[in-house]
Amino acid sequence: MTEVEAEITPQSAIVVPAVAVASKAPKSKPKLKDTWWRHLVAILAICIALFPVVYIVSSAFNADNNLSDAQVFPTNPTLNNFSELLHNNVIANTGAQQDVPYPRWFLNSMLIAGLTALATTMLGALAAYAFSRFRFKGRRMGMMALLLIQMFPQFVAVAAIYLIVYNLGGIFPAIGLDKLAAVVIVYLGGAMGVQAWLMKGFFDTIPAELDESARVDGATAAQIFWGVVLPLAAPVLAVVALISFVFTLNEFVIASALLQSTNHLTLPVGMYHLISDQYDKTWGPFTAGALLAALPVSILFMFLQRWIVSGLTAGSVKG
Amino acid sequence: MATPAPTAATFRPGLIARAIAVFSGTVGYIIKLVLLALANALVAWAIYVLIDHQRWPALAIVVAATALIDWIYLVPHSWALPLKFLIPGTIFLVGFQVIPILFTITIAFSNYSTGHILTKDQAISTIKVNSLEPPPNGRQFDMAPARDSSGKLVLILHDEGSGKVYVGTEKGLTRLPKSAVTLDANGVPTSAKGYTLIHGAELFQLDQQLEAYRVPTIGDAALEPQGTQIAVELKPTLRYVPKRDVFVRISDGKVFRDNGLGSFVSGEGQSAEELEPGWKTYTGFRNFRRIINDPLVRGPFFSIFAWTFVFAAACVFFSFSAGLFLAIALDKRGMRFQRTYRSILVIPYAIPAFLSLLVWAGLFNDDFGVVNRVFHLNVPWLFGGQVFSWLPFISWPRITVVLVSVWLTTPYFFLVSLGALQSIPDELTEAAKVDGGGAFQIFRRVTLPLLLVAVAPLMIASFAFNFNNFNNVYLLTGGGPYTGTSSLAGNTDILISYTYKLAIASGKGSDYGLASAVAIIIFFIVAGISGFSFWRTKSLESLS
Repeated sequence: MTEVEAEITPQSAIVVPAVAVASKAPKSKPKLKDTWWRHLVAILAICIALFPVVYIVSSAFNADNNLSDAQVFPTNPTLNNFSELLHNNVIANTGAQQDVPYPRWFLNSMLIAGLTALATTMLGALAAYAFSRFRFKGRRMGMMALLLIQMFPQFVAVAAIYLIVYNLGGIFPAIGLDKLAAVVIVYLGGAMGVQAWLMKGFFDTIPAELDESARVDGATAAQIFWGVVLPLAAPVLAVVALISFVFTLNEFVIASALLQSTNHLTLPVGMYHLISDQYDKTWGPFTAGALLAALPVSILFMFLQRWIVSGLTAGSVKG
Repeated sequence: MATPAPTAATFRPGLIARAIAVFSGTVGYIIKLVLLALANALVAWAIYVLIDHQRWPALAIVVAATALIDWIYLVPHSWALPLKFLIPGTIFLVGFQVIPILFTITIAFSNYSTGHILTKDQAISTIKVNSLEPPPNGRQFDMAPARDSSGKLVLILHDEGSGKVYVGTEKGLTRLPKSAVTLDANGVPTSAKGYTLIHGAELFQLDQQLEAYRVPTIGDAALEPQGTQIAVELKPTLRYVPKRDVFVRISDGKVFRDNGLGSFVSGEGQSAEELEPGWKTYTGFRNFRRIINDPLVRGPFFSIFAWTFVFAAACVFFSFSAGLFLAIALDKRGMRFQRTYRSILVIPYAIPAFLSLLVWAGLFNDDFGVVNRVFHLNVPWLFGGQVFSWLPFISWPRITVVLVSVWLTTPYFFLVSLGALQSIPDELTEAAKVDGGGAFQIFRRVTLPLLLVAVAPLMIASFAFNFNNFNNVYLLTGGGPYTGTSSLAGNTDILISYTYKLAIASGKGSDYGLASAVAIIIFFIVAGISGFSFWRTKSLESLS
C-alpha cells in the first residue's frame, strides 16, 4: 500500500516559545548587595506558594480533625488520619462515621484518567499522523472543522451529555449513568482536540525522508506509523499523555454529573463531598487524602515540568 | 538541567522500534483483522440489544456505519488510507462532542425540564392515572390475592355493599358464583374454586406488585389494592376529550387546554391552574426570551454575565503581572539559588488544582480558617457580602476566588515570562542603555513589547480557559453565597457553574432548556475569543 505520495513540505517548526534557561554564561557573580531585593521577593513568593502545602502536610499528621486546630507543627504527630482513610473508618468530630471509600476513589480516578490519557494519546496520534503526512481532499477543511468543534468546551454541554448518557444507559446499562466506562468514553470525545494539534506539530518536524526511505524498503503506512514515527515521537507522546492525565484527573463537571453512588466517585467529586460544609469535622482525613493524591502527580509533574509547559504553550497557540 | 524542548532526534531503531517491527507485516495484518473482528463482535451485540429495545433508527445508523467502516479498513484503496487513521478518533468526536453540541442546540429551543420530560401521549395517560381518586361512597372490596390455574396473580374480591364476589385481573372484573367462594367472619375470601390463595411470606414479597396492580372496571375507573386485604374503586376526576384535545374536570366542568408550552392549563395569570406532568415540546426562542425579559432569569443572568468577564480578566491580569514581576526579579544572571527558587515556585502548578482549591476553601473558611487566625483577621472570605458600601460589585467571596485563581495560575505565567525574558537578546537592552534610557523606560519601551509578542496569545488562551473555569468557583464557594432564596444564582457563580446548577445540581428540579440556552451563549463568547486569537496570531494560515 504505497499509494499515497506524501508531499515533502517544508518543515513547519513546532511553536515552542523559548523556555530554555541558563544558556547564557554568567559574566560575573552579582554581589548580594545588588540582588538582595530579588532574594526577598523570591522568599516572600515562596512563603505564599507553600502556605497551603505546609498546612496540608501538618494537618495530615495532626491528631485533631479540627480545621481550627491546624498548626504548622502538630503537637501530637500521628498516622491516624491515613489509617482512617485507607480503612474507610472516617469518624467526624461529631462522632458520626462517614462512608469514605478513599482507596476506591483513588482507583477510580487513576483508572479513568489513565485509560483516558492512554486512549487520547493513541487516537490523537493516529489523527495527527494523517494530517501531518497525507495530502488528501478535505484535509484543510477537516482541520478547520476540528478547530471549530474544539472551541466548544465539552463540559459546557453537560446537560446534553447527561441526557445522552441517561438515555444510552436505558439501552446499554454498561455505559449508562454511574458507570466509569461512560465517563471514559465521554472524555474520549475530546481526544482529537488540543493534544492532536501538539502531536501534529511535532510530527511535522520529523523529516519526511525517513518515511520515504522506509517506504522504499517496502513498509506500509501503518508500519511507518508504528515503527518509525511513533518511536521518534516518544517524548511528545509522554507529555501529551501526562497533560491529558492531569487534565482528566482534575475534571469535575462531567464526572459529578454522571457518577452518583459513593463507591463510583472520582477523587475530585468524592473529596468535595467529604469536605464541603464540614471543614470543622473531617479536616484531618481530608488533608491526608489530599497529600496522598497530590504526591505522585506533583512529583511526576515537576520531573517533566519543562516539557509540559512548552506543550501547554504550543497547544494553546495552535488550538 | 537545561532540558531542550522535545525535538526529533536522528533515527535510531531502538528497542521499541524493533519490537514494533516484529508486529508489522503479516503479523500486523492479523492484529488488524483481530481488532476489527472484536469491534464487529461488539457491534453485533449492540445490534442484538437494539433489536430487543426496538430502536430501529439507531439500529440502522449502527449497521450502516459499521459496514462503511469495515469496508474502509478492508479495501486497498489509496483514498481510504487517511480515513483509516482518522476514523477511531472521529467516532468519539462525533459521539461525544458533535452530537452533544447539536443536542444542546435542540434542547435550547425546547422546554425540556423537570415536569416536561415525557411525550405528550405519555403525559396524557399519566394525567389520567394521576386523576384517579376514591369517590365519596365508592365501592369497597374485601380482597384476597390469589393465583389462577396458570399461576398469574389475580384478586378475589367481595363487594361489601352488594355482597357479590368477583375475580379481578388486569383485564377487568368477572363475576363469580357465590358458592365458589368462602368468606370469613369479616367478609374476606378464604378460598375460591379454581384459584390458590396466597398467604404468608409469599404475600409480603408481592407488596410492590400489588401496589401497582389495577383492575379496570367501568369507564376509566379502576380497583386499587390498599394493603393486602382491601381494595377500593377509584374514579377519574378528569376526563380527556381527544377530539378537542382538552381535559375537563368532572366536578366543576373546568376545561384545561394545551397552552403550546407543554402543559394543560386552565385560566390565566394568577388564577391559572396547570395539570402535572407536562410534556416536552419545542418552544422556539422562549428560553432566550426568558433571559432577556423574565425578571427572575434576567437579573441573575446579567450579573453573572458581567462577573464572568471580570473574573476571567482579573485572573489573567493579576496572574500575568505577578508572574512577570517574579520573572523580572529572578532573571538575573548568576544569581544564587535561582534554580532552587524556580523549582519551588512551580509547586502550586504541579499540585492537582482540585486539591489546592479544596484546601484553600478550608484555609479561607470564615469561622475556622487558618488565614484569619494566622493574620489575626476577621474577614468573611467565603460567605461575606460587599467590601465597599458604594461598590456592590466587589464582594469578599469574589476577591477570594480571584486570589486563589491567581495563586494557581501565577507559576504558569512566571515560567512563560521567564523564558520569554531570557530569549530577548541582551544587545537590545544594552543599546537602549547606551542611548540613555532609564531602567523603567527600557522595560516599558523595549522589554515589555517584545515580551507581549510571545505571551499575548497565551493570555488570550488563558482568558478563554478562565472564562469557563468551573472548578475555581465551584470548589471554593460552590457559586455562593446566595442572597435571595428563590434564585439559583450565587454571588460568585460564573456562566458555566450557573449552567451546571440549572441542569444538574439545583435540588429544585432541572431546567435543561435554559441550561442549554446559556451553554449556547457561552459557546458564542468563547468562539469569539478564539476567533479573535486566531486572527491576531494568524495561526489559521499556518495550517500546513
